[in-house]
Formats: sequence, structure tokens, C-alpha cells
Amino acid sequence: MATINATLSVSSGDISSNGLSLTNTMTMTKAGTATGLEFSSGLIRRKLTATTEIDLVAANTAQVYGTPTATTNANKIYIKNTGSSSTDYISVGLGDATGAEELDDGTSKITLGKLYGGEWMIIPYHGASNVGDVLVAPSTAEATTIEWMLFFE
Amino acid sequence: MATTTASLTLTSTDLFDDSLSISNTSTLHKAGTTIGLDQTTGLTKTYVTATQQFDPFPVVKGATNADENGRVYIANLSEEITEYIIVSIGDLVVGRLYAGDFLWMPWSPKLQHVNDIEITPSVATGMWIEFMAIHNFANIYPNSADS
Repeated sequence: MATINATLSVSSGDISSNGLSLTNTMTMTKAGTATGLEFSSGLIRRKLTATTEIDLVAANTAQVYGTPTATTNANKIYIKNTGSSSTDYISVGLGDATGAEELDDGTSKITLGKLYGGEWMIIPYHGASNVGDVLVAPSTAEATTIEWMLFFE
Repeated sequence: MATTTASLTLTSTDLFDDSLSISNTSTLHKAGTTIGLDQTTGLTKTYVTATQQFDPFPVVKGATNADENGRVYIANLSEEITEYIIVSIGDLVVGRLYAGDFLWMPWSPKLQHVNDIEITPSVATGMWIEFMAIHNFANIYPNSADS
């Protein structure tokens, strides 16, 4: 096991009349236990030069770093657009890479949102066999460098 | 506009042979601009006592926010390590947040129901959770259930 900590801080002096100050730290543990997650993809860095959608993690598929436990897990994935553009972004989605977009049929894929230059996210990674792919599509064919890291059990 | 910053650090001294230390800070902007996001649902802390799925930020019918880009924070504040919440978007499960876990992610809600974020607690014995969206969307309701 390992001890992996993630700390999120969100602050603003003017998002509301009283401002905002939020800090939360989580220690990544295996599902339902106090035992730390022990596996990782390592920090992967890739330069994309097309708007083609790619799989960051293909569900239920052996990766070079191992096969994450699917469904009943406490896996986490971190993704960052390392660029600096305020207009170019990557769309991040979940689902079946071959499925249609936004269909409410259980075999499609859904876009979560966009990461513009310098933006990042951290979410749990579920990895259901049919719709658990993590998908990224750049908005531009100009070079876009992304980083991601999976922590898993 | 408002200026809101978010930072994340990821650290471990024993995951690898060498230490892991990642640190990021970003300012939350409206999509495609350098103008700050200027709306928030506020930080909601709630005690859920049912395993029924609910929407923390329901998208109102007709809302068109597909090109927008908000940020969502959801945390499971439970201290019971076996308790979790399932976070879904549309009909897809994003994953489980066990006690103490949180997520931070972008969100572009396109359509009512299709892109709604859903939370399903694992137990009905009571769990504290908190959530917040920072956005510039038209027509999302804070803390109410849609159909």
C-alpha cells in the first residue's frame, strides 16, 4: 500500500458577497478500506496533433501498467491540459468510444466538459466494461499536450 | 466577473521509488475567454438519509449550456470507510466517492436529464455530503430534484 494525498483548494474574494475558501484533502484508499491505493499508471504525457478522439483509459482492457479493478473500486484519474490557450481545449468524456454521443441508452458516451489550457480535473474512475472508457478530443489540430495519471487498486 | 482560483496537489512518498509531487493552480474562466466565472450554487452541505438518486444541480429543460464550461465539486464527508456515493452523469457512472473522497471536474450540461449529474448514497443511515458548482450557466436549479 501507499499513502497518496490529494488536496484541493478553491478560493475567491468576489464570487459571492462573502467570498469563498474551500480546502479538502483526501487520502486515496481502496474501496471500503483504510488501505491505500498501491498502483498507478505513472504520469503519462502525450502530444496530440489531431482532433481525433483518443482513449486515455480503455475499460476492462489490460494496460501496460496493469488492469484497474472495475466498477466496485475507489480508483482516481487526474487529467491536465498543459497548454496555455484560453480558446483551445480538450473535451473530456466517458463511455463507449464507439458509441454515439449523448444518447441515453447505456451504450453511448457523454461529454463531461472541457479543459482549456492549464486546467485539470480529478475524478473517480469507475471502469464499467461497456461504458468505462475515458475519452479526450482536442478542439484543434495544433499541438496539444495533455498529462494524465491513474491511481488504482 | 469574479476571480476564482483552484489548486490541486498530489503527493506521495511511497507510491513510487521516488516521491510524487504534482501541483497545479488554475483560474476559472468562462469558456474560451479570460473572463472569470461569475455564478455559483454556493457550497451545499447536506445530510442524506435515503439511497434514492438525486440531482444536486438539475438542468432545466431548454437550457443551452453545451458551449459553457463550469466546474463541479462533490465530496463525501462520511467518516465510515465503507460508505460511498455513486456519482453519475446521464446514465453513465463516473465513479464512487468513498468516505473522505472528492472530485473536481469540468461540466458542460447540454440537455436536461441527459447531462444531469446524479448522486446515489450507498446507505440510508445518514451521510454528510457537500457539493458546489461554479459556472455561468443559464437555468440550473441548486439543490432541487427534477423529474
